[in-house]
Amino acid sequence: MSTEYGIALGMIETRGLVPAIEAADAMTKAAEVRLVSREFVGGGYVAVLVRGETGAVNAAVRAGADACERVGDGLVAAHIIARPHNEVEQVITTKA
Amino acid sequence: MSTEYGIALGMIETRGLVPAIEAADAMTKAAEVRLVSREFVGGGYVTVLVRGETGAVNAAVRAGADACERVGDGLVAAHIIARPHNEVEQVITTARS
Repeated sequence: MSTEYGIALGMIETRGLVPAIEAADAMTKAAEVRLVSREFVGGGYVAVLVRGETGAVNAAVRAGADACERVGDGLVAAHIIARPHNEVEQVITTKA
Repeated sequence: MSTEYGIALGMIETRGLVPAIEAADAMTKAAEVRLVSREFVGGGYVTVLVRGETGAVNAAVRAGADACERVGDGLVAAHIIARPHNEVEQVITTARS
């Protein structure tokens, strides 16, 4: 599934849904990435995951983190994994 | 199920999903371990469990704890059980089996 879009994984986690949606919007607009998952982690945490080429994911996550910092309770974590281990794929895409 | 990979159990718990994924990635890259479960505990806590030989699990959990400390709200707990009791097996693999 993931290889169609590119291997790299970008993750943004926020406190509340609104900054997560703002981040997802900024990410998909900033670079050629695909949203693969949105998870309600619990405790008000929401995580959005994108995949694409490493450069695109890098640009997207920076833009997304920037955008959602000003919204609501804002950013918790922004992170990129250029090439996730095979074992990790099952953690990423349980339910997209 | 567990005996295929090795007996020892490694656990990392984080605040938020992003550090948990970072930990899972670091663990699987650091040593020969298998991810057996990821659990949303509630309250924003996420736990990832790995299994393998004791030495591999030890190395993996250290690497994972190190890696996820710098990400987001970071690490809550990192722990190893070299040989979980039989009774505990059913507690470990509720979600995925």
